[in-house]
Amino acid sequence: MSKNLKILLLGTAALLCAAGRLPAQDGLEVSVKGFVDTYHAIRTAAPGDWMSSRTRARGELRLEKQGGGVFLSANLVYNALLKDMSGFQLREAYAYWGNPHWDIRAGKQIISWGVADGLRVTDLISPMDYTEFLAQDYDDIRVPVGALRVRYLHDAWNLEVVAVPVAEFFKLPTDPANPWSVGALPPEVRPEAKIANMEFGARFSCFLGGVDFSLMALRTWSKMPELVGDHLGYHRLTVIGGDLSVPFGSFVFRGEIADNIGDQGAHQGNALAGLDWYPGADWNLSVQYNQTFGAGEHQSLATLRVSKALLNNALTLSTFAYADVRDLGVFNRLSADWAATDQLHAILGYDYFYAKGGMFTTYARNSEVWLKLKYSF
Amino acid sequence: MKRTVILMAALLLSAASTNAQTGREIVERVKNRPDGNTRYAEMQLTLVKKNGDKRERKMVSWAMDEGKDTKKIMFFTYPGDVKGTGFLTWDYDQTGKEDDKWLYLPAMKKTRRISGSSSKTDFFMGTDFTYDDMGGRGVDEDKHTLLREEQRDGHKCWVVESVPVDSREIYSRKLSWIRQDCVTAVYVEFYDKLDKLHRVMTVQELKQVDGFWTVMKMEMKNVQSGHSTQIAVSEPKYDIPVDKSLFTVAKLEKGI
Repeated sequence: MSKNLKILLLGTAALLCAAGRLPAQDGLEVSVKGFVDTYHAIRTAAPGDWMSSRTRARGELRLEKQGGGVFLSANLVYNALLKDMSGFQLREAYAYWGNPHWDIRAGKQIISWGVADGLRVTDLISPMDYTEFLAQDYDDIRVPVGALRVRYLHDAWNLEVVAVPVAEFFKLPTDPANPWSVGALPPEVRPEAKIANMEFGARFSCFLGGVDFSLMALRTWSKMPELVGDHLGYHRLTVIGGDLSVPFGSFVFRGEIADNIGDQGAHQGNALAGLDWYPGADWNLSVQYNQTFGAGEHQSLATLRVSKALLNNALTLSTFAYADVRDLGVFNRLSADWAATDQLHAILGYDYFYAKGGMFTTYARNSEVWLKLKYSF
Repeated sequence: MKRTVILMAALLLSAASTNAQTGREIVERVKNRPDGNTRYAEMQLTLVKKNGDKRERKMVSWAMDEGKDTKKIMFFTYPGDVKGTGFLTWDYDQTGKEDDKWLYLPAMKKTRRISGSSSKTDFFMGTDFTYDDMGGRGVDEDKHTLLREEQRDGHKCWVVESVPVDSREIYSRKLSWIRQDCVTAVYVEFYDKLDKLHRVMTVQELKQVDGFWTVMKMEMKNVQSGHSTQIAVSEPKYDIPVDKSLFTVAKLEKGI
């Protein structure tokens, strides 16, 4: 048995023993939750090789006392294909304190802005981990950042201020052993870790009867590496934008818009419109269209999500499709999630890729079937 | 003697007034039954398949009245995959005004605005109770008719028939047995679009807590599928000090 697998099993046993909310001692609340999952995917086209084979335990620990506390979230991973990805991975680790009127959170954390589903318009602080492209759960794709977040909380509105001393960037797979590899890339040069290069921004959000909206401003970096001479680099951006959610009848309209302003003054607009439909009978449908315009290369993306719960929610069928409208490409994740017990889910899925060009071309032969077993505690 | 006559007259008038109650007035009394300005409860929902297999959901909830409107927040505490999932609802009394609802999914770290109207007739988290059954249905969303009065389990009840105004509702009518002493529906039959009995709700334990009548245990059985759901309430509390900042998106995202 490998060392990583032993650590995984020991860690899982410890988490399972500690699961739940433990009795408060001197006002200290201790809460443990998490899951163990094992995920295996095989390519449906020749050569029918394994696309992914990994098992992990996720533990989340919260210690809280008198409005303050710490939160830790970590993975113990055994990855049979990518040995470098095995081992202990700290996801989030932050301290927080607050009262009903304001709160502060400092440390490694995921910051999520905007109302879009799986697309980025104003949700630009936590980047994406594309180690397996989009064939992971969306919460696994988000990369935590070391940040300080302060919020002033009012009944109907919040003001959130964020500072990220050292920016994080997209993770792209380059390991040749990874079926999702984009191939060898030129060396990456990240911005120096100095105060002039920090990210900072603010978001003002309103939650009213019949409408939610937010306005945001962010001094950030382009998070996707781009070729600058002989290396990969990043450029500074100032982003101003906002989002909106309006329910009407069985629908909810969602919209986001942003102006990405480069330091040389170039403007690129990014707009998204989405519609969620709740027709009843445990059906959910959601469509989105995202278009960039102005300076630089443009993208036109659409998404479609359909889900239906059956058998008193014991079985959920869902599909989520990204469509590259401009370059004619599709990635569709179809899944059937069966709750065998309260804790154990078995999920069978099929990821379908089609590409004539554009962002899905690299993965045109990566269609796969996959199976995941997940035990939550 | 004169005093006795006045008393008897008052009693007669009172009885006449009770008899003259319409179905709507009775249902309105049920809806407006005193339940404090703020409430807290822990709930265990047990889903039972026809073959006896069980699944469980546990949650905690707080509610606060603001005039005739109600704000509610609830969080799932079990099972692990939904633990921390929260719902925030601003429930408006005014007919035609859509409720405001938000859902927080901890795995996504995101709050979503959800439809305030359509989900009312959906079944709540796979149970046999719809969101409406859980208490959100407005009085004038049905036409109510008082059919009769009769004894049920030793208690005098009104039997009221309620027919949805909106023909898209999942039931064609329901019959409610409403206990007169505590103005609470203790047995309800729901009929489907073909007017066949579909679901039956039975209150199994009802008691006074802090002076307020409280349903401690109830069951909803789908007589067509054989599936049923039991709800057991524990630790109910009324008129507790609750800050209105509890019923905000910020609190929804912070969790319990």
